[in-house]
Amino acid sequence: MTTQHGGKALAEFVAEATEILDALGRDLLALDEARDQEADPERINGIFRAAHSLKGLSGLFGQERITQLAHAAEDLLDRLRLGRLTLDDQVLDALVDALDTFQSLLGETSRGEEGDDLTRRTRAMEERLARMGSPAPPVEEDPLERLELDAQVRAVFTEYEEHRLRENVRRGVALWRVRAAFDLTDFDQGLADLNARLKPLGEVISTLPSSRPGGATGIAFDLIFGAKVDAQALEAGLQGTPAELAPLVVRPPSGADVAPVLPPADAVAPRTKRGGKKKGTRARPLALEAGPLQPLLSADTGATTRDVPSETTSHGTPGLVALPTSGSAGPPRMRTVAGPSSTTLGLQSAASAPLPAGRPRPEETSLRSLTQTVRVDIGRLDGLINMVGELLLIKANLQRLAEASRQDGTVALSKLFGQELSRETRQLERKLEALQEGLLEARMVPVGQVFDKLARLVRRIAREAGKEIDFVSTGGEVELDKLIVEELSDPLMHLIRNAIDHGAEGPEARLSAGKPRRAVVRLRAEQKGNHVLISVSDDGSGIDEARVREVALSRGLVTPSQVSEMTRRELLNLIFLPGFSTRSSVSALSGRGVGLDVVKNNLGNLSGIIDVWSERGKGTAFHLTLPVTLAIVRALVVGVSGRTYAVPLNSVLEILAVQPHDIRTVERREVLDLRGQTLPFLRLGRLFHLPEREVNRHFVVVVGLAQQRLGIAVDELFGQQDIVTKPLGGRLSAVKGISGATDLGNRRTVLVLDVAELLEEGIAQERRRA
Amino acid sequence: MSRFEALLDAFFYRPDEDVSGLLDFAAGSDGLAPRVLEEEPTEYLAFRLETECYAVPILTVREICKVPLLTEIPRAEPQLLGVMNLRGELLPVYDIKLRLRLSDVPPLVAGPDAGLPPKAARILVLKTQDGPAGVWVDSVAGVVRLKPSMVELSPAGLRGDRDCVAGLGRKGSQLYILLDPEQALAP
Repeated sequence: MTTQHGGKALAEFVAEATEILDALGRDLLALDEARDQEADPERINGIFRAAHSLKGLSGLFGQERITQLAHAAEDLLDRLRLGRLTLDDQVLDALVDALDTFQSLLGETSRGEEGDDLTRRTRAMEERLARMGSPAPPVEEDPLERLELDAQVRAVFTEYEEHRLRENVRRGVALWRVRAAFDLTDFDQGLADLNARLKPLGEVISTLPSSRPGGATGIAFDLIFGAKVDAQALEAGLQGTPAELAPLVVRPPSGADVAPVLPPADAVAPRTKRGGKKKGTRARPLALEAGPLQPLLSADTGATTRDVPSETTSHGTPGLVALPTSGSAGPPRMRTVAGPSSTTLGLQSAASAPLPAGRPRPEETSLRSLTQTVRVDIGRLDGLINMVGELLLIKANLQRLAEASRQDGTVALSKLFGQELSRETRQLERKLEALQEGLLEARMVPVGQVFDKLARLVRRIAREAGKEIDFVSTGGEVELDKLIVEELSDPLMHLIRNAIDHGAEGPEARLSAGKPRRAVVRLRAEQKGNHVLISVSDDGSGIDEARVREVALSRGLVTPSQVSEMTRRELLNLIFLPGFSTRSSVSALSGRGVGLDVVKNNLGNLSGIIDVWSERGKGTAFHLTLPVTLAIVRALVVGVSGRTYAVPLNSVLEILAVQPHDIRTVERREVLDLRGQTLPFLRLGRLFHLPEREVNRHFVVVVGLAQQRLGIAVDELFGQQDIVTKPLGGRLSAVKGISGATDLGNRRTVLVLDVAELLEEGIAQERRRA
Repeated sequence: MSRFEALLDAFFYRPDEDVSGLLDFAAGSDGLAPRVLEEEPTEYLAFRLETECYAVPILTVREICKVPLLTEIPRAEPQLLGVMNLRGELLPVYDIKLRLRLSDVPPLVAGPDAGLPPKAARILVLKTQDGPAGVWVDSVAGVVRLKPSMVELSPAGLRGDRDCVAGLGRKGSQLYILLDPEQALAP
């Protein structure tokens, strides 16, 4: 590993490589979702380009291992792209595994290590990629020979374009020459527009300068286009562009040459034949209807269809493939690509693919990003710069005022001066608020960043667990602070792993329970006011609260008397108790609740709330409520015994004024009666061992986290304020009940209460005394 | 040519030549230069706690500041006086007198009931492995340079339950108790 590059350069490399891998992951996922359909050539091309850029980038930074693996991947993708290899499950699995390897390599790079283990794994991966796949079935007659295209034109095609054209001819896609003339001044725009219009209608195989001169100031192009739609739709789609359509005629192959062109699997051949015949009969009227555009073609197809009877008797579908009907996108084509495993679907086919022996089991890696970078739209930055400019203006004004007051000296300050000063400070306040908002916005990233990574994980976990899972994620566009998104990835991974491992049943169990074979795991995000709600749900077996009770009792987490009074909701929440889940309880409880206390803690650190819903046989859902940002939070400033503390407002539910005689004691424990419900109650002064002061009334701040509620008694309320919390840091990390400190503007440090920990303590006290 | 050679010849040192007078002359020109190798002195920052004089290696001191407003941390260990805000940085401030058994109760210097700190009191911000930490001192005495020969290792377990005393330094009549900051601030 090269060390001559500075840390900064390396960080840039990691950031850029991470981006490439993210894009690669997205494309692979899309390929995976469309596993049993034909792969979009544009997508494979995209993956190829990503691998290529990764190779270039890592080569530039001297990252040998990544370069070599990227080279192997690029090689494989190139073969795939040029049709020398068919995209089957094995290839796709290999590519996904390669992505995992890339991620691990990048992880090591960012830590500046180079582990032997990973190097070996990389080597194995390279070899696997190189060995990958059988060559595509040999084609004896080049279908391109059947295409009536000028040899000169053919000569200028790149290998890739030629391959795509050949593929299209072979599949019988209707080919068109789209000729369009543009003015020289804006032909790039016109061409881009034309391409955008054509894209949804089919595939632009090649763009060539036309042989026909485009006038004195014009330029003409010939686009070779493989249409997915029929002639009329194509014509309608190009309305308003200068494009002229002309079909490219494909000659029917001679009888002897048909066989190799057909799908290789013998088993599917008869069906193909039947399908082809049906299509043939249907295709004739369609082709005749095609209207004025079609005369040349319909004459030709007419001739073709006449040939059908004699040809089909010997060899499946003959020249019919050239018909520009929608029927040409029918089942035969899918069979060709899907191969032997076409009956299995999606992830299950992944599960059935045997894991190659000796492949190291992918370690449980964190989904956290390797880099700490945020991409910011330049427009947003411009806005921020403008705000700074305005702040400078205000500063100049204030400076002028200060100068004026200094020169006036002893002269009493006029009323006018005071007004001017207060106007400037108001301006300053407004601008600072806008600047703060702008900066917070710049920190926002869509949660989709994590969702994409999780989707890849689902694929892997489902394969390991042998479950059939449909993963549905929505709301990826909801934005959260970058910090929260990063911290969120691991808890979400945990919850999703639980949902797949323990929530979703196996296919057979589901069928016998009268549910669809495939389980659904949903990940959903939505914004609700100042909070974002993220839910992870499955339609599995749900949590058995009777077993939860048993386990909680057997572990001594609760007493029998407590349990007898608990509602179902409270029982379910026992799964978040530390010590609830250990290895043995995992199996005893059908595995529910692996380390959920950790998940809860992580969320607590983010001032988040987790809630669980579950119904036997119907499924389980975890709801996570998170603040949009952590950088600046609104806090309630309270006073106890002359000390000042801040309570994050997002966990405050309400504030009560309580007379001392309202406080009851239950079993020597103080509680409050809140609208008929008993509220645990805690005096902050007593908890913190502060000297108590006599007060004639308390203010009780009711805080909540999940279903837990706690009243915290304080002496005074000072109002609300925006605060920037600083963590207490390494030396003070053991301090309980305090999450950080902040500065309230009077240069006095104020401690911020950790509501989650206080709740924990309040509940623990309750349990000890009970 | 031979004349030049003769002139040059007189210029060279001959093994049998007696040059002791010359050496004496050279030695006399800086008579203070000792014959033995110079000892490299180490710089320490000396400060007072109660009546005793302590010192820490100056390289462990990041800065010295006046005592700012301290915010007490509830339920913290007794030697943690509180936290201070130093130019936006949050630092814990410790009282090491308890550990050195110079006092039995932590002083009341943080919180609303604390009075004004003594004028001479300072906070030393020390660099430790767990990050910077402030230490309350009653006054700063200055920088002393101690040669290794002036430092004697302290008898084990001289005071306190930990070996936070690294040694004793003597300069003239003044005794400096040399502290090991890591040990003194260990939790």
